[in-house]
Amino acid sequence: MKVRLTVNGRPLEGEADAETRLLDFLREDLQLTGTKEGCGEGECGACTVLIDGQPVNSCLVLALQADGSDVLTIEGIADGDTLHPIQQAFVETGGVQCGFCTPGFIMAAYALLKATPNPTDEEIRSALEGNLCRCTGYERIVDAIRLAAGRMQGDA
Amino acid sequence: MRYQQVVDEAELLTALSDPAAAILSGGTDLLVKIRGGVAAPETLLDIGRIPTLSGIRESNGSIEIGAATTETEILASSIVQETLPVLTTALAGLGSIQIRNRGTLGGNLANASPAADSAIPLLLYDAELDLVGPNGPRTVPLDGFFLGPGKTALEPGDYIRTIRVPIPEPGWCPFYHKVGKRRALTIAIASVGALIRIEGDRIVGVRFAAGSVAPTPIRLHAVEERIRSNALTEEVVDEARRLAMESVSPIDDVRATADYRRCVVGDLVARALRLAP
Ligand SMILES: Cc1cc2nc3c(=O)[nH]c(=O)nc-3n(C[C@H](O)[C@H](O)[C@H](O)COP(=O)(O)OP(=O)(O)OC[C@H]3O[C@@H](n4cnc5c(N)ncnc54)[C@H](O)[C@@H]3O)c2cc1C
Ligand code: FES
Ligand code: FES
Repeated sequence: MKVRLTVNGRPLEGEADAETRLLDFLREDLQLTGTKEGCGEGECGACTVLIDGQPVNSCLVLALQADGSDVLTIEGIADGDTLHPIQQAFVETGGVQCGFCTPGFIMAAYALLKATPNPTDEEIRSALEGNLCRCTGYERIVDAIRLAAGRMQGDA
Repeated sequence: MRYQQVVDEAELLTALSDPAAAILSGGTDLLVKIRGGVAAPETLLDIGRIPTLSGIRESNGSIEIGAATTETEILASSIVQETLPVLTTALAGLGSIQIRNRGTLGGNLANASPAADSAIPLLLYDAELDLVGPNGPRTVPLDGFFLGPGKTALEPGDYIRTIRVPIPEPGWCPFYHKVGKRRALTIAIASVGALIRIEGDRIVGVRFAAGSVAPTPIRLHAVEERIRSNALTEEVVDEARRLAMESVSPIDDVRATADYRRCVVGDLVARALRLAP
């Protein structure tokens, strides 16, 4: 069946069947392999993308269910070669170690900072409740988001 | 497997006459089951775009929530926050943000897990379900809808249209507590919700519901009947705790033992009463 999506600002059309998850469509059909598959069942958040601005697990959404919507992935937030402030902050604080969880955390953080530009630590932690990291111990991820929030406010 | 994006309720009713078809709402339960080989529908009927199945409105003293309304939409509703605070608290602890952005109220109820987080508040608030099926529409109380793990009063070809919750009169003291291994992404070991009204030192109204301690989410009617109209004394609190522990039938599983669950339910019932005045 046909599926029409806007991905990272670009309208496109593809083919998907009832088994194709949005995750598969992004990774296999569009070669957007920044979005990762960890658990494949909603527990880890590695596959987080935004659908119409809301973070979702792309392993639990069929491509066909997303038909007509606006999808934002980790590939869509940098400005050319300049990293997005959230990405830059992850690099600086050590919020990235093996990096497998990172795209998911960054997309969750992106949605948080759109809605809440100046979050408390508590708000940062609860925005990350759906994302698991086995490397960093989370503190550096929270540091990164706090740093990015400060810089993004400075820009505004 | 086939996928069908259903346009309206008439199409849904017709499509559901196929016994190999299954409703796909948010998909956070069903897609996991399909991948795990636990469910194998031939056709997925996506109800996410049917306008009459989603949204929240107030009508005749009730809050009506469309079955395909997401948990995030319900959490954002100010009328729900004001009138059904236990529902807001319980949904805020369901899954994670990513799950709540997709998961729907109808899906949580139809899935009929003994741990379904929305069931506790909805049982407390005496919610009713508007069902539609081959023989027309009917309304059933949520208390009685759950028949066992994964089993409900839904007949073949039925769907949940609306969850209808009478707005309670002011003055109920709300209580909700979910015990799990951690705060996010945790299936409850046990959960208890309560609505309690105290006048003077007397319990004039009391409702308890509990999850993960029986084959279905349950109201604790025996406890309610025993202590209603009593003065709120330490003896009454102890009696409520004892009866609550007797009224549940938990199991041992990977998350906790039956004995532990029984103790948790007793303690939470006692805590709800102590916090009430
Ligand atoms: C990682 C993870 C964590 C979770 N955490 C929790 C939790 O903490 N607490 C909790 O309670 N649940 C939890 N869940 C379960 C799930 O997210 C919820 O039950 C959710 O509300 C299901 O809604 P849905 O719309 O996604 O259902 P779907 O998966 O779309 O449907 C579930 C079932 O209901 C049927 N159905 C759906 N809508 C209707 C309707 N209108 N009429 C008739 N039948 C219908 C479907 O056919 C299917 O059998 C979790 C799930 C995952 C993957
Ligand atoms: S891969 Fe989707 S949540 Fe883990
Ligand atoms: S950096 Fe390795 S899992 Fe998070």
